[in-house]
Amino acid sequence: MYKFLVACSVLMFSTAAVGQELTADEIIRKAMDHYRGQTSHAQMSMVIHRPDWQREMGMKTWTEGDKRTLVRVTVPAKDAGNGTLSVDGNMWTYTPKINRVVKVPSSMMSQNWMGSDFSNKDISKDTDIIDQYDHELVGNYQQDGHYVYVIQSVPHEEAAVVWGKEVLHIRDDWVMLEQQFWDQDDQLVKTLRTLEIREMDGREVAAVIRMSREGVEEEWTEVRTAAIDFDVELAENLFTLSNLRNPRE
Amino acid sequence: MSVTWRLAWRNLWRHSRRTWLTVGAMVFCNVLLIFLISLQLGSYQMMIDNSLASFSGHAQVQHRDYLEEQRMRQSVPRAAALAASARDALGLETTAARGMAFALVSSEQRSFGVLLQGVQPVYEPGVSTFPGLVRQGRYLASGDGGHIVLGSVLAQNLKVGLGDELTFLGSGRDGSFAAGVATIVGILDTGMDEIDRSVAQVPLAWFQDIFSMGDHAHSVVVRLPSLEQVPVAVATLEGLVGGQDELVVRDWDALQPGLRQAIASDMASGWFTYVVLIVLVAFSVLNTQLMSVLERTREFGVMLALGMRPAQLARLVGMETLLMSGLGMALGVLLGALLTWYLSVAGFAYPGMEELGAKFNMPGRMYPEVSLLSLLWGPVVVLFGAMLAAIYPALRLFRLAPVAAMRAV
Repeated sequence: MYKFLVACSVLMFSTAAVGQELTADEIIRKAMDHYRGQTSHAQMSMVIHRPDWQREMGMKTWTEGDKRTLVRVTVPAKDAGNGTLSVDGNMWTYTPKINRVVKVPSSMMSQNWMGSDFSNKDISKDTDIIDQYDHELVGNYQQDGHYVYVIQSVPHEEAAVVWGKEVLHIRDDWVMLEQQFWDQDDQLVKTLRTLEIREMDGREVAAVIRMSREGVEEEWTEVRTAAIDFDVELAENLFTLSNLRNPRE
Repeated sequence: MSVTWRLAWRNLWRHSRRTWLTVGAMVFCNVLLIFLISLQLGSYQMMIDNSLASFSGHAQVQHRDYLEEQRMRQSVPRAAALAASARDALGLETTAARGMAFALVSSEQRSFGVLLQGVQPVYEPGVSTFPGLVRQGRYLASGDGGHIVLGSVLAQNLKVGLGDELTFLGSGRDGSFAAGVATIVGILDTGMDEIDRSVAQVPLAWFQDIFSMGDHAHSVVVRLPSLEQVPVAVATLEGLVGGQDELVVRDWDALQPGLRQAIASDMASGWFTYVVLIVLVAFSVLNTQLMSVLERTREFGVMLALGMRPAQLARLVGMETLLMSGLGMALGVLLGALLTWYLSVAGFAYPGMEELGAKFNMPGRMYPEVSLLSLLWGPVVVLFGAMLAAIYPALRLFRLAPVAAMRAV
């Protein structure tokens, strides 16, 4: 009986300890996996808002693992067919108007993606943070009955990253609530906030996220996920240049 | 009073050779100052004209936030029409509309981000020296569509030559995807790497089409024959854009604030040389006047004994100096004016300057600026310097005791 109790308490403690001991790296890994799945296919819209105008685009996206993303614009008709493919940190863009695939040079990766507040990098390699940064759990708080981890991620010395650090707020069901981008002078530059969380395909998903630069709150870009399917079968050649040019679906 | 003046004048010519030598030093210094200052002011004029002529022009009509933010949407509506009415209002052909857009330009092998310029092929040569610097092929012509002229270093970087195609990707004014293919018709070489690395020009109409600009552009550029016409031209342009609050007219100082600063710092270093020159002349005057006072100690002693007051004697020395340096100034200004006037008509060139000018599509001679400022600034300061130098010899007279002075050797 006594032994049983000891065993129980050890077990309890150890599980509790496991819960506590989740490292910052693991939390980020889980958040990324949660967000991308092994594979995913989504219907999204992007709203670019400026004080004097606003523009909306419809897009389809496919992801596989950490390193492959395909984005294809569907609406408005004028821009339909434009696509962006990124594989292993390289990025190509296809425009039907000129029927050409152009590789985006690395010097352009921190430029805006098509006039939005997202950079090319934001669009393509959103899991870079896992292996190019050192992560540290710096705090936590409770929100809506959830436990939220606050993680500070500082890029490795030699990482080709423009940011000084990023601060991530990740809920205990691995939904990312907030991602802050700080420059190398320790000034907050822009923040990606989750405005709406919905259950889609059996997961809690950040359905509306908004990127806004610090100090210019009236300018923002929202990505709204209308539908997303995780762990779907994807065609072998989906993430290839020939598919970028001639979509087969 | 007039007796004292006459006395002072005669005193000067008691040692006419010494006086002429001192006057000669002043004349030389004055001519040199006038020449250097007018050359300097003239070269600033040239520097301003050359850097404005290369691209920015003397004034531009822009959207009021464009200079600071350079956003695609901060554009000038009906730009080509505005440029046409500016041509009429100013009576000048040198006015052109321009559009600017950031784009990713790619060849078969390479891609770079560039600031693509949409220009009016017919009018651009009037506002910029770049069109005249095309070394291979030709500049854009009216009727061109998907054609481009780019800088030599950019062409090298992209590994392209005449006849090759380049593709552009960017975003249009309405935020849509902008893309185009253009054939290289000309490669220009300004000799300045920074420009040759970045300049890429396409016809404005094609540019407006690709970037969904409608009839908009980002600036209407005006080049004027001279800097003096800027305020009037700015006022005329302001009249033209009167009703449109979002548009402003910017003069060259607002467009290129660095230019005035560069001039100010160069001016400061120039003034240092002049001050040294003036101080040297002042010492030569001090030397002359001190000598002439010392050698007249006995004479001054007699005058004091006869009842003249030291202050009157000091005034006498002051008058002598004033007459002498006045003579130096008059001759100096006359000679200096003749010299610079001749150069301002005939022009002035350093060896090799004309070749340099031809290379950069700039004037090969410089013309000194003849103005009241350039003629009088130096000589007036020299005059004041000479008067300051006379103070010490004059003050010595107050310590003169008549009897001791009369006995002085």
